[in-house]
Amino acid sequence: MDESEDVPKDFIKLKSEKLSVDEVSELVISPNCGAVSLFIGTTRNNFEGKKVIHLEYEAYTSMAEMEIKKICRDVRQKWPSVKHIAMHHRLGVVPITEASVIIAVSSPHRTESLEAVTYCINTLKAFVPIWKKEIYEDEYSWKENKECFWANSEK
Amino acid sequence: MRCQVTVLYFARSAELAGLRSESVSVPQRITSLQLWEEIVKIHPRLAVIRDQVIFAVQQEYVFLGDQLLVLQTGDEVAIIPPISGG
Repeated sequence: MDESEDVPKDFIKLKSEKLSVDEVSELVISPNCGAVSLFIGTTRNNFEGKKVIHLEYEAYTSMAEMEIKKICRDVRQKWPSVKHIAMHHRLGVVPITEASVIIAVSSPHRTESLEAVTYCINTLKAFVPIWKKEIYEDEYSWKENKECFWANSEK
Repeated sequence: MRCQVTVLYFARSAELAGLRSESVSVPQRITSLQLWEEIVKIHPRLAVIRDQVIFAVQQEYVFLGDQLLVLQTGDEVAIIPPISGG
């Protein structure tokens, strides 16, 4: 492979179709990287004793993509050896146990990609304008991340 | 001087306002808190979430407060309830 084709890339996608772990991890594989670290956020079937039927996500799409780009830029400043970053988030209805977010990062050695993946999901939860609605049997609830950067400390 | 901005509503704010976007006439120079109050005049039901929301003006987050905004026709102002991505 021509070395110049393997420049560091960010793969950002918000989509309503089912996410694929294979697809996301293959995006970041690189010949000079020995590590690919992955995070998958899946939907739980219960919250405070209530049965969750499914989740629904909506996004301020243009701004969400920009905020995710900023996360990628920050990752490259903090961990310069990181090669490729992929962040895919699902929108619309997400059935129980399916993935709502998949993040993959490649780097030559494992420490950087493991740390970068953690940073990506934590920062996404704090800054990216995406909202989740939990649908229960008789009601629904808009969730609020405790990481949300302007969240009150008292609720 | 006034201008026409596009207000975008998301999540709970879209449910309370009953719509997802609209064009609103506002003063060009206005604090973010005054901008909130203009929008609540149109959709009084939004008042209940006042302590939880922030704005995104031209896709930059802005807290509700004394920050002076200089708006232009066509600017996007989004109401951002507490986020829950990931």
